[in-house]
Amino acid sequence: VNPMVLLCGIPTEPPLALVQNELNNLNIPSLTFNQRLFKEIELFFEISQGQVAGRLNLAGQSYSLEDFTGVYTRLMDWQNLPEYKNAGANSAQAAYCRVLHETLTNWLEVAACRVVNRSGPMSSNFSKPYQAQLIRNEGFEVPETLITNDPDIVRDFWQQHGRIIYKSISSVRSIVQTFEERDMERLDFIRWCPVQFQEYIDGINVRVHTIGSSAFATSIDTKVTDYRYAHRVEDGSIETSVFELSDEITEKCIRLSQALGLDFAGIDLKITPEKRIFCFEVNTSPGFNFYEAQTGQPIAKTLALYLSGS
Amino acid sequence: MWLMLCSPQDLPALWAYRGLKAQGLEPLELVADGTLSCSIRWEHRLTTKDTLIDITLADGRIIRHDSVRGIINRLSYLVFPQLELGKPAERDYASQELLAFFMSWLHAMPRPVLNRPKPPMLSGQWRQISEWVWLAGKAGLPAAPYKKSSRSLFPEQQSYERVVPYGTPVKTVITVMGTPVDSSLPQEIRQGCRLLAQLAGTELFGIEFANGPAGPWTFAGATLFPDFRLGGSELLEALKSILQGGEK
Repeated sequence: VNPMVLLCGIPTEPPLALVQNELNNLNIPSLTFNQRLFKEIELFFEISQGQVAGRLNLAGQSYSLEDFTGVYTRLMDWQNLPEYKNAGANSAQAAYCRVLHETLTNWLEVAACRVVNRSGPMSSNFSKPYQAQLIRNEGFEVPETLITNDPDIVRDFWQQHGRIIYKSISSVRSIVQTFEERDMERLDFIRWCPVQFQEYIDGINVRVHTIGSSAFATSIDTKVTDYRYAHRVEDGSIETSVFELSDEITEKCIRLSQALGLDFAGIDLKITPEKRIFCFEVNTSPGFNFYEAQTGQPIAKTLALYLSGS
Repeated sequence: MWLMLCSPQDLPALWAYRGLKAQGLEPLELVADGTLSCSIRWEHRLTTKDTLIDITLADGRIIRHDSVRGIINRLSYLVFPQLELGKPAERDYASQELLAFFMSWLHAMPRPVLNRPKPPMLSGQWRQISEWVWLAGKAGLPAAPYKKSSRSLFPEQQSYERVVPYGTPVKTVITVMGTPVDSSLPQEIRQGCRLLAQLAGTELFGIEFANGPAGPWTFAGATLFPDFRLGGSELLEALKSILQGGEK
């Protein structure tokens, strides 16, 4: 039986499509668990004495779960699938959609093959300061951070550091902003909910993608506080290029990913002019397509090979 | 001081709180989930070297990071009634932010913390019953085969927490820091419980057994919220000893 890779999600989603393309180029057999076609998919598994076996029925064929070497999950929330919404929340189809996804996610947690990534490890960025403590354990510097609902100590923190930024601490995405004089007018609003402030770190942004024991680094040079949203601001140009990491930092990044239980991770670093290396956070399901398109680094190919067991 | 974090309806936790105080574990502070979620001041500092977090509760108590020697954490989830007046989107956002704050707080507290948080759960790593059965099998505990199919909308009368039919009597073995607190356990079950605790990486949890297809000690499920009362004085002594041991 040929080893197979299972891709889970929406086939046109860029990261999934890139990996599919590389699997095809490498002649590695693969299957796609297309969430939108949930009605045509069946999944079954059994656990006995710690061993897992089962079958996936898809497009009229039946596959043994033990034949998969790797699974790449880019699952969207099934409740947002158009086919689910169209079926009606109380319909039999909707119930099937729910149970199918539940069966899949249950299996992924116990599957013997490589799973990129399992749900437990993917949750570490639910809390950024929680994750920062894990990052720090692996020897990275983290920016001095204050999370509070007390405006007075924010003023002191601002005075102490001169330039500070603020951003969310949960997995809800926010645009990193520089704290400015005009923000003082609404600083009292933080009494309702603690807000994260950090010293501004000057330097070059570096995104490191780790896949197993491989790492690809991209530098992003920009004047914008949050380069992900550079296109939204005037003079928001960014320059990306392949960045050569030292062996020591490469190893540290791989160790960090392993410590977080992640086969594939996107690590956000900032390297200061004094060569200090700060780690801001680790993306546990990185959308790598932007970086691959900008630099030509073989991220998707490496991921495809990793999923095949190489 | 030590902390007991729980809901006011958590009778097993309140029983343990009273029992530990009676055994002389002082000062032991009871902090209800609602009291914690409606704290009035938060200060959380993180640097490359240190983490410091102080929380001021509405009743005037201040929980200083460096004054806590250990925690029994029974927080399953926190709700934030003070956010009810906000717009729905802002309310959801603020709730996520506050949960993320408490996640970091609990992780940063000096050990022992029973249990330390594992995102997205405040009280340790939550697992599907399928994963518990898998781990139990790896630990050598007797377990009946577990089956899951996308075609079974209501799988064989099983609950989401247990692998036995509803209503089946179970025996709970509470395991603290890798040691089952039940001196009457058969040796092989004791060893399996130890190994399961190690594989799960969970400090304090209950392992449930039933008279089932794999014998009188068939693995039935596991819970992060065992009824402490089942462990009796033996459990209180174990908890006291671990809490007094402090961070190692």
